[in-house]
Amino acid sequence: MDQALRPQEPQDDPEQLARFEQRIQSGDQIEAGEWMPEAYRFEAIRLIQMHANSEIMGALPEREWIPRAPTLARKLALTAKVQDEVGHAMLLYRVAETLGRSREEMFAELVEGRARFHNVFHYPAETWADVAIIQVFVDGAAMQTQGALRSCSYAPYARVLKRICYEEDFHIQLGLDVWRSLAEGTPRQRAMLQDALNRWWTPLIHFFGMPDKVSPHTERMLAWRIKVKSNEELRQQFLRRFVPIILEYGLVVPDPGLRWVEGEQRYVYTEPDWEELKRVGRNNGPKSAERLALRLAFYRQHAWVREAMTQWAAA
Amino acid sequence: MGGGVTVGAEVWERRLDTPRDVWAVFLQARTRDPHVHVGDVHAPDAEMALVLAKENYARRDPCVTLWVVRAAEIHTTTQDAAEMFEPAIDKSYRFGGSYRRQQQVYRSAWRLSHRDEDQ
Repeated sequence: MDQALRPQEPQDDPEQLARFEQRIQSGDQIEAGEWMPEAYRFEAIRLIQMHANSEIMGALPEREWIPRAPTLARKLALTAKVQDEVGHAMLLYRVAETLGRSREEMFAELVEGRARFHNVFHYPAETWADVAIIQVFVDGAAMQTQGALRSCSYAPYARVLKRICYEEDFHIQLGLDVWRSLAEGTPRQRAMLQDALNRWWTPLIHFFGMPDKVSPHTERMLAWRIKVKSNEELRQQFLRRFVPIILEYGLVVPDPGLRWVEGEQRYVYTEPDWEELKRVGRNNGPKSAERLALRLAFYRQHAWVREAMTQWAAA
Repeated sequence: MGGGVTVGAEVWERRLDTPRDVWAVFLQARTRDPHVHVGDVHAPDAEMALVLAKENYARRDPCVTLWVVRAAEIHTTTQDAAEMFEPAIDKSYRFGGSYRRQQQVYRSAWRLSHRDEDQ
């Protein structure tokens, strides 16, 4: 969505706004159909639509590996995982719909390249080791954000996130199993894993976004609990959980500047190139065009199924 | 929210404001459990709604039956009317726990009357 679409200044009834803020502050959640400030609706749609897009686009890189999975057990598990991701998109588009956008509208925006999806899904999945990285680290990163948002103020989103996190946990466990078998494998397998990790590291650091500027906007998002933790808090949470996994298996964290600062209980890392994140976020990543084209091709290819369903129901 | 039933100035009942192709899914995990709303699906008819509900909500966890119902047919009390569920008077008389004190009295009375037998 464009910056230009942002409502100028919310024209909310001050009395309703005060009541709304008081409810949120006391820990209450808002249900579908209840009164909410226009700016709240705008931000909630932006967040949930982006999440929904990311789930359905996120199914594509791993999908490439279903036919090439090394064993039948891996193929079954990967298929289940990809199916979960598409299912999450279904749940999330429905939640976004309760905020006043139609599913068709959102889907059209996605396939026409007018909407955004997470930076990590704009990159190639070159080897089987990339599947391990995606399952452990990409899903692990997503889990930090989504886990925090389970306490967000929009109840339908919070409910769906519980279910999503439950399934994401399976993805991470599955990924760790793939990761372990490669990390304990032959020197070639270990090299393949290290190479995938090297390629994914920057997108993973990018994943949480730039450290938030202290702004009235961020303050308000936190106060309204559309945002629950800052970008940097989530990135640190991710590093604390996942850096030890890399080290445990004797692999190398692809950032020579990374170190743990005991006094501050946080990791220091090399500042990544934030311009790359902005570029990729605007659908100019290495695989953006190809994946969007694939999404559109499937959408068109399946049009007859949607039509047949409607005709059948009408008959 | 429009179209709700109004009592005084307050809207306390309305129909869910939902597109017609949205079906609410209720899942029963085990035979003795109640059906619980687990989410929605989009479908042109009930048969397809059940198929999609199975794919979306019964992939791994236990399920014995599914219900689907057009979400737009569901009537709800509004959040604004939540106060109407708040007890207007003390309803402790409806709870077994309220009678513990009485049981204690009986028990101590019984102990008193049997004191001699204990010794």
